[in-house]
Amino acid sequence: MSSGDELDIGPDSQLHTLAGAYALDAVTEAERTAFSRHLADCAACRQEIREFQEATALLAVANRAEPRPELKASSLRAIGRTSQLAPPVRNGAADPGPSPASGRPLRGRSMRPARRPRVQARMALAAAAVLIAAGGVVGAVLHDQVQQLSQSQRQSRMIAQVLTAPDRSMRTENVSTGGQATVVLSTRQRALVFTAHGLRSLPVTESYELWLMGPRGDRPAGMLAVQGGMAGPAVVSGLAAGDMLGMTIEPASGSAAPTSAPVMMIATAS
Amino acid sequence: MTEPERRSLAGSGSGQARRLEDLLPLIARGDESAYEALYDQAAGRVLGVITRVLRDPAQSEEVMQEVLLEVWRTASRFDPTLGTGISWVMTLAHRRAVDRVRSERSQASRELRGAAAAHVVDHDQVAEAVEVSMDRQRVRRCLAVLTPLQAQCVDLAYFGGYTYREVGELLGVPTGTVKTRMRDGLIKLRDCLGYDGGAT
Repeated sequence: MSSGDELDIGPDSQLHTLAGAYALDAVTEAERTAFSRHLADCAACRQEIREFQEATALLAVANRAEPRPELKASSLRAIGRTSQLAPPVRNGAADPGPSPASGRPLRGRSMRPARRPRVQARMALAAAAVLIAAGGVVGAVLHDQVQQLSQSQRQSRMIAQVLTAPDRSMRTENVSTGGQATVVLSTRQRALVFTAHGLRSLPVTESYELWLMGPRGDRPAGMLAVQGGMAGPAVVSGLAAGDMLGMTIEPASGSAAPTSAPVMMIATAS
Repeated sequence: MTEPERRSLAGSGSGQARRLEDLLPLIARGDESAYEALYDQAAGRVLGVITRVLRDPAQSEEVMQEVLLEVWRTASRFDPTLGTGISWVMTLAHRRAVDRVRSERSQASRELRGAAAAHVVDHDQVAEAVEVSMDRQRVRRCLAVLTPLQAQCVDLAYFGGYTYREVGELLGVPTGTVKTRMRDGLIKLRDCLGYDGGAT
């Protein structure tokens, strides 16, 4: 079958004609990526796609089938074994309200440590300080996150460990589709903490995915939830010698291997 | 569409018709009973569209489980400003089904035309395949508004899993025309199905 080798994607005005095919999932991966970028810049197109997807959802739901009853039990067992993506980083992470990033100022938020042993509080502040050096907003969010991720305390402990590791180093890299990624890594702990800001928002059908890419092959390193252009902090462990951290745009369901060119690569060798 | 219609769409087939966009934020926080409620409401539709695309019942069940697990895993990514909950779930389901059918087609490396021969479409078949229940009746009524070419394009793409370029080859129609027919077909469908442009 023909694939995306002959992309007839021209200027944006022409791209727009792809809206129907896109909403029907009748495009190649390359076209999907290109069109998604276009969507990020075109509010009218987003609205059109939204309306089209409501219409195609109706086509879909008109085909109801009855799953065998035992599938339900197995589905419920499966979720018991499956961890979830952390909630997107947003102001007031406990707020389930549907509004997107609410625009409350981040910088002004108080940085008091919660009820923690003092040493740990100092670590958290040090951790925040590291990233404040890279960008205050990210740091403040990280600090919030370190405090609020009760849902995954282990993760926040790992974050703190990396961010306070004696051998930690920090690097930043631009994301080709917009935004900047910051990585703090500890070679000794074979782990890194990833954050990003200014990321372009993607349509709901796509998301950013991290990869470790190196001599041991490409390994998935997590899907990123993006809110208000910000993602992370996310811990990536299991670094091997020669690995790079890559970020690609993938279908929202994730991919077993990268299906598009990385929009960001960052070396992890110290 | 009227509010009762919208609600029935989101909730038909389940005693407790909680809207998916209300359930998804709970699921994102690990609420298993919310997941169960979503399963009750959505599993049949998810399986339905996947089966329609894949045709193989065993594989379709497998993909359904993958999709629902994906809903559990990525519920925090659902953004109600970008669409309804059912649309989000069905988009995941359809995308996954299409990915699967395409990878199988390329694995089997069958000739495009050969593979498609079984999928001869005409206007009546499209309407016929999409039937039963209130939703189906409404969809059927709206599909009848499309021109035959629009209906063929929508059907081959959405239920056949073909790209617009492949649809053009199958129908012997220029790809530019196919793209246009897909878009104006969806505009007609949207208007007929009464999507009201963002009411929640």
